[in-house]
Amino acid sequence: MFSGNNFIEALKKYDFSFFGLAIIIFIVGVINLYSATHASSFTYMANLYKVQIGWFVVSIAVGFVISFIQPRNLFRYSYTLYIINGILLVLVLMVGDSGMGAQRWLVIGPFRIQPSEIMKVSLVLALGRFYAKNYPEGEMGIKELILPFIVAFIPALLIIVEPDLGTGMILLLIFFVISFYRKLKAKSMVILAIIGLISGIGMYNFGLKDYQRKRILTFLNPDQDARGSGYNAIQSKIAIGSGRFSGKGFQKSSQASLNYLPENHTDFVFAIFNEEHGFVGAFFLIAIYVALLFRFIWLCQSVPRIFESIVVIGMMSIFFWHILINMGMVTGLLPIVGLPLPFMSYGGSSLLTFGICLGLATSISNSRNLF
Amino acid sequence: MFGEQEVVKSHKPRAEIISGIVLMSFAIIMARLWYLQIYKGAEFFKYSLENKLRREVVKAPRGLVFSRNNEILVHNSPRFDAIIIPQYLRHKKETVKRLSKIIAVSDNKIHRLLKNAIGYARYQPVVIKKNISMKEVAIIETEGTKLPGVFVRNFISREYKDKEINSHLLGYISEVNKKQLPKVSKKYKLGDFIGHSGIEEKFDKTLRGKDGYQFIEVDARGRVRKTILENNIYKGIKNKKAIPGNNIRLTIDRDLQLEAYKALEGKVGSAVAIDVHSGEVLAMVSRPGYDPTQFSRGLTSEYWSSLVNDENNPLRDRSIQEHYSPGSTFKTITAIAGLEEKIINEKDEVHCPGYFVLGRRRFHCWKKNGHGKVNVVKAIRESCDVFFYKLATKLDIDVLAKYSRALGLGTKSGISLPREITGLIPTKEWKLKTSGEEWQLGETLSCVIGQSFVLTTPLQLALSYMTLANGGILYRPRIIKEIFDNDGNITYSGQNVIIDKHTISSKTMNLIKKGLYQVVNHPKGTAWWYRGRGIKMAGKTGTSQVVRFTSDKIYHKCEELEYKYRHHGLFTAYVPEHNPKLAISIVVEHGCHGSSAAAPVARAIATKYMEKYFPAERKKIIKEERMAEQKRKKLLEQQKAQESNEES
Repeated sequence: MFSGNNFIEALKKYDFSFFGLAIIIFIVGVINLYSATHASSFTYMANLYKVQIGWFVVSIAVGFVISFIQPRNLFRYSYTLYIINGILLVLVLMVGDSGMGAQRWLVIGPFRIQPSEIMKVSLVLALGRFYAKNYPEGEMGIKELILPFIVAFIPALLIIVEPDLGTGMILLLIFFVISFYRKLKAKSMVILAIIGLISGIGMYNFGLKDYQRKRILTFLNPDQDARGSGYNAIQSKIAIGSGRFSGKGFQKSSQASLNYLPENHTDFVFAIFNEEHGFVGAFFLIAIYVALLFRFIWLCQSVPRIFESIVVIGMMSIFFWHILINMGMVTGLLPIVGLPLPFMSYGGSSLLTFGICLGLATSISNSRNLF
Repeated sequence: MFGEQEVVKSHKPRAEIISGIVLMSFAIIMARLWYLQIYKGAEFFKYSLENKLRREVVKAPRGLVFSRNNEILVHNSPRFDAIIIPQYLRHKKETVKRLSKIIAVSDNKIHRLLKNAIGYARYQPVVIKKNISMKEVAIIETEGTKLPGVFVRNFISREYKDKEINSHLLGYISEVNKKQLPKVSKKYKLGDFIGHSGIEEKFDKTLRGKDGYQFIEVDARGRVRKTILENNIYKGIKNKKAIPGNNIRLTIDRDLQLEAYKALEGKVGSAVAIDVHSGEVLAMVSRPGYDPTQFSRGLTSEYWSSLVNDENNPLRDRSIQEHYSPGSTFKTITAIAGLEEKIINEKDEVHCPGYFVLGRRRFHCWKKNGHGKVNVVKAIRESCDVFFYKLATKLDIDVLAKYSRALGLGTKSGISLPREITGLIPTKEWKLKTSGEEWQLGETLSCVIGQSFVLTTPLQLALSYMTLANGGILYRPRIIKEIFDNDGNITYSGQNVIIDKHTISSKTMNLIKKGLYQVVNHPKGTAWWYRGRGIKMAGKTGTSQVVRFTSDKIYHKCEELEYKYRHHGLFTAYVPEHNPKLAISIVVEHGCHGSSAAAPVARAIATKYMEKYFPAERKKIIKEERMAEQKRKKLLEQQKAQESNEES
């Protein structure tokens, strides 16, 4: 792509802000992860933070490589990527590997990939291309929304069936943010909200599995089964609340070290972070997240092409929904859906996805200077 | 290109709205965090402490029981059980095999015990062997790693020092189980100890103390991380010390207790000894007994069935839970009634031909050939039935009942022990009520000699003799001398309680006492052969018929009867005669005679008592007795000499 000199030139103009913010969050995250798991009696748990560092390095490397792909190539291959990804999702349902009661994985040789993770990116690219080509100007009504909705709904449905309600919902939410950005009419939004509500109720009654329905009931009243399904929600709140203003201090979390809060290294890291660093710590962490999100929003207005703008806002929405839903569920504002907190939660697939997102945003940012 | 840039820019308002939504969303999250961490922070902090802290009950040590002379009768000692917690059990077969070798319990039994525990929580310990030895404890502890899931659990066992000797008096304790839980007071929890029978039952509240609790840090699996020693851990979370139960000092004298039990060796019966001037019970024994320690440790079914199947019912406290016809020991009371009511006086004499005829019925005297001329003193001394039959014809049964009650018979004594029974002193009204029939004079004849309806417990008999020995003051029998807490502060001190007070005229008293003294100390007295040395015992023998005999069998030798048809032997007494201090009553079931079976028991107790408490007085009495004996011998020799002189 570049000759040696060009590469150095390019690095000089390279936008490190995305990766930079990610690295800051990751450092906080990995320290927090170490603190939550160091006291575990299982060696693999105690060494989890090392694995996490490994995955992070890989994710940033992948993101870095992706950041050198030209946006026009992204545009060109976006549908192809979307279709391939869709096929993979179907394959998952047919020959996928099950784990933890869900069929989410596809094993190809030594790799285990989770097509639903990548689908978040593929959907953003596909929707970006679709909206860029079809509705260059003016507001959108319901009629114009039908086709892109189908584009978002098909993979969402495939993922929900796995079942992975959280990721499926995220896809629809991303679709909603992008459509909103692409000037969806207020009236259409109301209609959309009504449709969403009706289908939500229908889904609750017919589409959800028992454990999922229980989670929602538990969310509404966690105390009714404090030792059972409400356990995580209550213990999470106890962890957060007990941190009080300034926290119990590094490695002082009793909820994590004594194993009261299960999944404290994945979905509930934010609770442990709050227990140890309190309100003050949470404030700074959220501030960094908000800075990252604003970096996206700011970028989306400074790109030359609508496709790129939509992709950036799409990437922003991926981050936004993960952060918001994770924090919401950990603090007891939302029902428990297993969504990781970007760069804080343990997990290779999610790190990779977020790394790719950052790579794409960086690529778009860098491309501004090439013209 | 430029055109498209314009399009991008046209989305600015939407981008701004999105910015606003992002900010607002996180403001909500921050508000939520503020609510949880600042507003409710203290509360959640406490929850997190409570979460990791487990409140463990610290059992209050149960109070101890002492004798009047401060010998320990009941104490607590550590005991060890081998247990398995199924949750942690690994390599089941090998572990069980290894354990079975250590504690000598068969593999099969352990497997069976584990099987029985299926269905309970897996962290609940299964007791494999109770009360293992220190050696077994040591082996299990050192081989710990090879015995995953096997633990030694220690707890406090109640040890009863003199085993069966004090069994009825002290009672025993056992764990409250699921069946009992609904029946006992709400203060008891599952696994708490509760007293059964005796002092342990009656004074359970006093002895049990108050359990405390201590916080220990545990993880989510309940494994103990550490014990927290600070007392004030956080607002409202405090360790609470267990308050030990109060200790009880009994009025019981251990030496007398042991002596009484020993004297009842080979016999079935009861012995009670009461201080004449306070009602304090110094000895109270029922034989056979049981080992309360075994009960407190958890009974083996073998031991339990051996107790239940024992014909002699070792679980019953014969001194207060069994009543007997008092037999001739009751004659004393009849005599008092007769004298006080002026039906008879000291000069009245009755001729005893060996029987008494009332209407068409012949009432036999125990002495087939009769006693000849009998006055009241002789009637008591030689226990002449005919004298009392004669008296009975003039004595109203209700009047006799009045005197009996004044001496503590026919009502519960009110001793601080559970399940005391009332006994029975019949009246005309009682008879009418229970059988609907009028009282018959013939029944009075049976009653005055302590047969028929009259029923008394050994304790009541002792009380009646206590009362007559002290001139008419009926004290409530007491077994509690003091109750004191662990720091030695006395919380309760027993006081003399007078139930009833009657003055028996000194004239009557002198006659009765003379009679009772002669029973033991006159060569013709019924207990002459069991008089002992240095105790100056005054008493009365009695036999209580178990079954009614036809007149031809009435003079059969008792010892030739089948055991269960033999008479009960009774003996009631007080010592020393001139200045009574201790009242004693003895019942020996199927002992045939009050003299040979029961009197020696009273003699043993009285001797021990005088030796221990009045050694100087005893010496003096012995000296007097020796002199009197010499005098008697001299007199005999003189008589012989005279006789031989006369002959020559």
